[in-house]
Amino acid sequence: MQFKKSTLTQHLSKKITGFVLGLTGFCLPLVFTFSGLSFAGHLALGIFLMAAVFWMFETIPIYSTSMLVIFLQVLLLSQQGLMFSGASLPVTQPLQTGENQWLIPPEALDENTVYIAEGEKKSRSLEVKVLEVSDMARVESSQLSSDTQIVSEARHRLVRYEPLGYADFFGTLASPIIILFLGGFILARASVKYNLDKNLTNVLLKPFGQKPMLIVLGLMMVTAVLSAFMSNTATTAMMMTVAIPIALQVSKEDKFRIVLALCIPIAANIGGMATPIGTPPNAIVIANLQQQGIHIAFGSWVALMLPLAVGLLLLAWFTMRILYPPTAKRFTMSLKSSFEKGPRAVILYVVFGLTVLLWFTEAQHGVPSSMVAFLPIMALTVTSVLKQDDIRALPWEVLWLVAGGISLGLSMENTGLAMWLVSSINWEMLPQLMLLLVFGVVALMLSNFLSNTVTATLIVPLAISMGTSGIGGEGFNLVITSLVVGSACNMAMLLPISTPPNAIAMSTGYIKTIDMVKVGIVIGLVGIVCALVLSMLYWPIIL
Amino acid sequence: MAEIYIICVEDEPQVLDVIIRDLSALEEVFPIEVAHSADEARVLIREIREDGNHIGLALCDHVMPGDKGVDLMIEMQQDAFTEKTRKVLLTGQAGLEETIEAINNARLNRYIAKPWTPEQLVKVAVDELTTYVIEQEKDLLQYMGVLDQARLQEAIRNKGYI
Repeated sequence: MQFKKSTLTQHLSKKITGFVLGLTGFCLPLVFTFSGLSFAGHLALGIFLMAAVFWMFETIPIYSTSMLVIFLQVLLLSQQGLMFSGASLPVTQPLQTGENQWLIPPEALDENTVYIAEGEKKSRSLEVKVLEVSDMARVESSQLSSDTQIVSEARHRLVRYEPLGYADFFGTLASPIIILFLGGFILARASVKYNLDKNLTNVLLKPFGQKPMLIVLGLMMVTAVLSAFMSNTATTAMMMTVAIPIALQVSKEDKFRIVLALCIPIAANIGGMATPIGTPPNAIVIANLQQQGIHIAFGSWVALMLPLAVGLLLLAWFTMRILYPPTAKRFTMSLKSSFEKGPRAVILYVVFGLTVLLWFTEAQHGVPSSMVAFLPIMALTVTSVLKQDDIRALPWEVLWLVAGGISLGLSMENTGLAMWLVSSINWEMLPQLMLLLVFGVVALMLSNFLSNTVTATLIVPLAISMGTSGIGGEGFNLVITSLVVGSACNMAMLLPISTPPNAIAMSTGYIKTIDMVKVGIVIGLVGIVCALVLSMLYWPIIL
Repeated sequence: MAEIYIICVEDEPQVLDVIIRDLSALEEVFPIEVAHSADEARVLIREIREDGNHIGLALCDHVMPGDKGVDLMIEMQQDAFTEKTRKVLLTGQAGLEETIEAINNARLNRYIAKPWTPEQLVKVAVDELTTYVIEQEKDLLQYMGVLDQARLQEAIRNKGYI
């Protein structure tokens, strides 16, 4: 009892610390002014800091932090919100004093930049040559004329920020990537309902026979395939029900139990990398690239990630084989599959097959994967394969979490915050490969302690702005860097808290944390190296 | 965090000792409390409620001085606090009529006839508590060590998250 009380106090003090730190983070940019960051950038920085703290400390559930983010963005950063609804740019005209020489108010000058108003809320920057600053500033430029509307206050909140409409922030919840995920959720839900996942598992496991390490390889392959389409958590729970009867055939001390309990979460985590819908960090990567006008097709994602996923699966398998060699010779498994044959089950099989087929053939027919994803959403509800209860049971909070992440990314780019954050570090000394390594390692480390999705949310926008701002230097590839960050987020499986599948495996009591750490370190470190090798040699060929 | 209790109501101390010994493997996660009569049980239930805890499983003898076990179970069924509690009648002497009454009015979940084996008792307790936590609790992982793993995993699969 004593023990429980102390953990309760710890829990509470962690919440309070998080709350105080989060609020401090929010207020910090309101009190201090950072040079080079727009007014809206300050607001976005406050939201970013608070969200990061709340996500890290789990002061409130991570999905509600996402909702808070969207709320604050709508309130503070949208065109219709408190800060920008009534605002318009203050303008004035320059006074000509000579050829190409103009007098302007000194407040209109931001070092050697003036802003030209192109509407009530829109401006563009113009570099001028500053000749003299006293009561008025005298500047030289060939681009000005006496009826140019220049912004009289360079520090005005609308300068360098064009507020998005509130609907853009809300709209993230219905963005194409969210719809793609919803399609995935719907397919997964229907598969569980009609036991398609279980039956597929039994069919797919048969060829792997009865030898211990082959069984493990089979479990890993099947887990990876399923988790590429279903949630990693549900896949792990389902595969555990297959693994437990095998584990019960050996004594409690037998190390093979460790392998059985460990191989499944590892494979589930890795399998999630393979498709866009495998796990939410993929969504963050794809959505952020989409905002830059870069579209990654379903099939291309698989082509990019599959070698990495297969490589890591084999790596994990070999590692466990060396660490925990099995003693028993063979195991019996009851692998009876009984596919449901009712009309609704058949509809599910057809829709599932068709959807996956269309996803993989995007290059041939050109219909984006998110549009294809609406096929199962429509077909499985129209035919009552899924009913009201099933729709309610979908993991909506995951969609909110991702939407909040996408929305935060929008503002980080749009307000110049992301660019400001990355430009505060001198990256030029680093070669391309080191840059990727830094991003990968930071993502890997954070993601071991935070939710993978949250890590991706915080890091991917930074990686993207390295590219868009040109800070990353020549040859910096947005897509490759984002992919490295995304895969690093999914490779974090060091601790029971790293991912829900790890927590499930831990709860069986078959493994100790140290077992997870051993294999997790190998996967994390070798995984990053593999990703870097792919990023240099293989990904550029596909892209 | 709220605890989930197992309560045993039985008038014979020796039998009570046997039950507690048989269920000792569960005690780490589900604290066990005992009562020697229906009246004692009512006090016990009130205490557990006032501490903000829950009762997951009630094992109850039928023939006791004072109120009978079946009456206590019917009472528990009618009280919102103990309605969801899994109810097991543990007896050798309940007649047909009383048993029917227990099933109809107390929504009795199990009936264990005396004498029972330790394995039987543990299996029933594990089954019933597994059902209870799947229905009532959000975080199922903490019960993986002592309850029915396969059913808990199945429940997680159905939910799709933990």
